[in-house]
Amino acid sequence: MLSDFMRKLFGKNGSKDIAKKRLQFALVYDRLEVSDDMLKEMQNEIVAVISRYFVIDRDQLKLDITRHDDLSALMLNTPIISAKTRQRTANPRVADKKGKGQKFSGAKNRAI
Amino acid sequence: MNGKIIVISSGKGGVGKTTATASIGAALAMDGKRVAVVDMDIGLRNLDVVMGLENRIVYNIVDIVRGKCKVKQAAIKDRRIDNLFLIPASQSDNKDALNPQDIMRISKELRKAFDFILMDCPAGIERGFENAVAAADEAVVVCTPEVSSIRDADRVIGLLSAKGIPSKLLINRIVPAMVNRGDMLSHQDVVDVLSIDLVGLVEADDQVVISTNSGKPIVMQEDSRAGQAFKRIAMRLNGQPDLPIQVPKSSQSFWKKFGSKIGFGK
Repeated sequence: MLSDFMRKLFGKNGSKDIAKKRLQFALVYDRLEVSDDMLKEMQNEIVAVISRYFVIDRDQLKLDITRHDDLSALMLNTPIISAKTRQRTANPRVADKKGKGQKFSGAKNRAI
Repeated sequence: MNGKIIVISSGKGGVGKTTATASIGAALAMDGKRVAVVDMDIGLRNLDVVMGLENRIVYNIVDIVRGKCKVKQAAIKDRRIDNLFLIPASQSDNKDALNPQDIMRISKELRKAFDFILMDCPAGIERGFENAVAAADEAVVVCTPEVSSIRDADRVIGLLSAKGIPSKLLINRIVPAMVNRGDMLSHQDVVDVLSIDLVGLVEADDQVVISTNSGKPIVMQEDSRAGQAFKRIAMRLNGQPDLPIQVPKSSQSFWKKFGSKIGFGK
């Protein structure tokens, strides 16, 4: 009772607030953990999509998940060798972007 | 009959899965339902001792799967509570003795024979877990208000949801005085962190240890607060999902109350 009183007097909170904060951080990281198989599968799918539009150097391709205090990012680094000149363009907007794409060759692509 | 299969899971060991399974099972049976509690912890069986039925085991779940006996032969009838049956685990095998397909297969027979089938899941998320959740319609995830248990519960909730099994949370061993002091996560804190619906709150109760010692279901004791909480959880699982959740309160003595009124403590 007296210790409670002292605690109130000095405005100190119980230990549960620390527990809650630690848990919230731990769970954010836990939930981002992806198995290697899943990462590999995703990489293959992303490569397949990019390969439809660009010729890329698959050997130098790198997929990573990085974590910072306030942000987690999925990083895909791939050198782009050239854009593909596609015969069949189902979506005209894709054709528009083709030219621009080359400017980004070698640049980092970041997606959250 | 087309019984419902509910798995009682937690990830972490020692948070009260087995006690919860035995208590909820007993409460459902006292409500007139035909209930089977199934010990899925192959090699480390415990549900039988908690229920006080350890001396009556003849067959076990591995025997059912291997076709050595029928479901009805393995199910031990509780003599104190009508309609309550235990299907024990095998003590001599290990978790690899069963696989999820086996459980899917025998689940059809179990559903025919019982209204509720409660699967007592072993700790961990390996084969034993996979077996226990294989045929589950829904899950009760048990945790205590401690960081380790909550983290493991989060993992299990994720795994269950990936399998399409809806789960609800049972917070066990709440110490109201510590919650009041701010030294234990409140149920609201736990719900905030896990973002999951509650099925019930159970406070730490010495009666649980005492009733487990004698192998008597805690729900048979009218004066046990944990027992009453488990009864209400059973009612929520049995067609009354909206029964209000009671938050355990500390039973304060007069002097403590008086003290808090004049500013001492809380």
